[in-house]
Amino acid sequence: MLFKTITKENFKKMVEGLLEENEVIGPRSRDQDLEGNKIYRFLKVNSFEELEMDYTRSYSSPKNYFLPFKEDFATYRLEDNNWEQEIRYTVHPRVIIGMRACDINALLKLDQVMLKSVYPNPYYFARRQNTLIIGLDHEPLEDCFCRSMNTDTAFHGFDLFLTDIGDKYFVAINSDTAYIIINQFDAREVTEEDQERFKTVKEQIKSKFKTQVDITILPELMDLEFESEVWKKWGDKCLSCGSCAMVCPTCYCYGIEEDTNLTFTKATKRRFLYSCNLLDFAAVAGGHNFRPEAHIRLKYRYYHQFRGFVEAFNQSLCVGCNRCGKACLAGISPKAVIDDLIKTEKNEY
Amino acid sequence: MERPPDFNNKSLLMQTEKGFKSEVINIVKLTAQEKLFQIRILGSCEREKFTFLPGQFVMLELPGCGEVPISISSSPSNREFIGLCVRKAGKVTGMLHRLEPGAMVGIRGPLGTHFPMQKMVGRNILLIAGGLGIAPLRSPIYWVNEHRSEYKDITILYGVKEPGQILFDYQFEEWRKIYDLNLLTIVQNPDENWKGKVGLITELFEDISIDPEDTFAIVCGPPVMFKFICAHLADIGIPRQRMFVSLERRMHCGMGKCCRCNVGSTFTCLDGPVFDYWTVMNLKEAI
Amino acid sequence: MKYSGITLKKPKVGFFDFTGCEGCQLQITNKEENLKALFGLVEVVNFREISSERRDDYEIAFIDGCITTDSEVARLKKIREQAGILVAMGACACLGGVNNLRSRFPLPDVVKEVYDGHHVDTGPVRKVAEIVPVDIELPGCPISKHEFEWLVRHLVLGIEPQFPKYPVCVECKQRLNSCVLDMGMMCLGPVTRAGCNAVCPRNRLGCWGCRGPSEEANFESLMEILREKGFTEEHIAERVKFFNAFSGILNSDC
Repeated sequence: MLFKTITKENFKKMVEGLLEENEVIGPRSRDQDLEGNKIYRFLKVNSFEELEMDYTRSYSSPKNYFLPFKEDFATYRLEDNNWEQEIRYTVHPRVIIGMRACDINALLKLDQVMLKSVYPNPYYFARRQNTLIIGLDHEPLEDCFCRSMNTDTAFHGFDLFLTDIGDKYFVAINSDTAYIIINQFDAREVTEEDQERFKTVKEQIKSKFKTQVDITILPELMDLEFESEVWKKWGDKCLSCGSCAMVCPTCYCYGIEEDTNLTFTKATKRRFLYSCNLLDFAAVAGGHNFRPEAHIRLKYRYYHQFRGFVEAFNQSLCVGCNRCGKACLAGISPKAVIDDLIKTEKNEY
Repeated sequence: MERPPDFNNKSLLMQTEKGFKSEVINIVKLTAQEKLFQIRILGSCEREKFTFLPGQFVMLELPGCGEVPISISSSPSNREFIGLCVRKAGKVTGMLHRLEPGAMVGIRGPLGTHFPMQKMVGRNILLIAGGLGIAPLRSPIYWVNEHRSEYKDITILYGVKEPGQILFDYQFEEWRKIYDLNLLTIVQNPDENWKGKVGLITELFEDISIDPEDTFAIVCGPPVMFKFICAHLADIGIPRQRMFVSLERRMHCGMGKCCRCNVGSTFTCLDGPVFDYWTVMNLKEAI
Repeated sequence: MKYSGITLKKPKVGFFDFTGCEGCQLQITNKEENLKALFGLVEVVNFREISSERRDDYEIAFIDGCITTDSEVARLKKIREQAGILVAMGACACLGGVNNLRSRFPLPDVVKEVYDGHHVDTGPVRKVAEIVPVDIELPGCPISKHEFEWLVRHLVLGIEPQFPKYPVCVECKQRLNSCVLDMGMMCLGPVTRAGCNAVCPRNRLGCWGCRGPSEEANFESLMEILREKGFTEEHIAERVKFFNAFSGILNSDC
């Protein structure tokens, strides 16, 4: 991998350059929580000043810029007894600034499903190909457990990855496009001092993880504790509101609906992001629901994240960002649920 | 350095994302709830390329209304049309039932796994269907007929709740006499005209002899039926890897993306709908 | 008019207002660019906001407002007799709605306060379903024009409409809103039926539950959460009772 450094001043110029010709998405804050902490969101950025480069964690992941919450798969022109289908997957180029290592790893996991499977998803592919990703390191928060999920560093899946080493960024470059861009803004070769500072920062980050989740025997545990009371305990609290899946960087379950216009001359086939926690997720026509209870649905969200995906791709789907834990009003977090499962297994429960 | 792969196989994409426009050429009303749609892919090139194996399904689309997964219940060698047996159950299937011949629908597929007919060559096959489960079995029935000399004894056990729910009875004579299959039916709640056997499908086992060493089983019907039937078959010594079932789940994409058909650690649309019973036993909440 | 070769009949429809602000009827007439197409789908035989025609051969009746007087009860029953399909439209018709607030006080006190002792023919606030069977409930205060058009398409096609079963949170998160509960505001979004595109939380107003409860909503859990967040019982009760959406589900002490 190629490394360079860029001063913060030049980085600002680079962003301004990117803003001129591209849609730029980055962390912004609009609201505050009760303690006065800013609530961040990945939104369209109009000027460098709007970017919050020292943001902590966005409430929702930037997943929706690759898998939109709602997306038209096809449109149809309807005639009396005939129709014509039109499919478009062209998208405008986009730049996303400030994605964390966990979010980039989340994309790599989504790539497994959306690009490397039997049936690639062309809509996702188009967005993935046309998005320039600028990653950004950060010090772990109280509840980040990405280190346990092995997603605290990103080696690929981005174009540039920045580490703040004081007055400049230490930059990993991962694409030719990014290499050309950064070189236009006086990117410098890495000096020995830069390298030392980079190492110190990385060590600091590593030493600051406070939350660990033990996933060593989790896939087995998911089967062994399938009937565990733990699921009922958390399921009873679950609001079945789908917030966890919406904010999650990797939850990709969806539904498809079709509708027509008022004159029955046009129709649309639309994909909408769904959540396995929602009541009718597994309900079939005729009324049977394969997962009628909240705790069963909650269990399956974990089962997919920590068992099903492991079986298919040798890795958990979860990246340890704890956004679901933060967004859950009922306080259901992976850390709490998994710790409970482990306790049950050890009969400490 | 890893980048998203390029799609070399453009035709695959076209097939999966873009449905084949097809004409409904004939509709056979089977019962009050079920109709058989004979569907012909319009493009001759696409029609030529559309090949499937017994047990696979398609997503059947009525633009503006929606898409539903339907198992193919015609012969794989039938290049003229695809037979889809549709039960009126929800929004899309209800609308499909109102179509007239000449209507245009979309199909995506064929999707999913199939019954391993090749593996069964030289063996007896026991096909067991409950209710609508007979529809996906028509495809393997056609298959064994067309390759009749390759298989030994073929037995079909078919159970329904009421006599009025029996599907494809107009073909039973043909299946018995020409296809040389042994077909036994049973009804749970008979009416005054029913002259056949009465009871649960498992009671038909009394009337046949099964050589567990040399028999493959294909089971299709409601999940509660699999459980009892497969347990019985396992008891008499048929290995679970030689029993095949077809699962039903909610599906939106048919391509392993939407997760709606998730069963345990697998997806019914990609890893199924046909599973061997050993796999089913190892899947959480499959039955 | 045809769809996939199926000939579609134009249903005759009537709109009838009861005790309410008629805002739901106004919503229907609001989006002018779609009006022509909308009224091309149905034959309006009775709709006093837009037409002087008053015919009683309607097949589908849309009811807005709650039922408060004896004469309204009689009128509603007559409409039910005529209509093949009866749609309760908006929070008042579906739930009782804002009007139900007055049910907290003795009726004579309310009449005295509001009408200063003048005789008024009024009784308890009731939702439409308390008087006659309702076929379809189109929720919201007011109803959404978009959803109304969607419903009409279903009626013309003869398909039973499936409203979202899940709560507002799904749509709220999809709009990347900050959770108003995190910001210290009261919100019933987690137990309220979605379909409004989270319009209130979007504007930093907690949800008031105008669309009624989502299916199998977990009230106990939300109540516990609200109490933990420090909301008082009075505050919770005020919100929960506002549209009368959760009556019969909550304990009487709440």
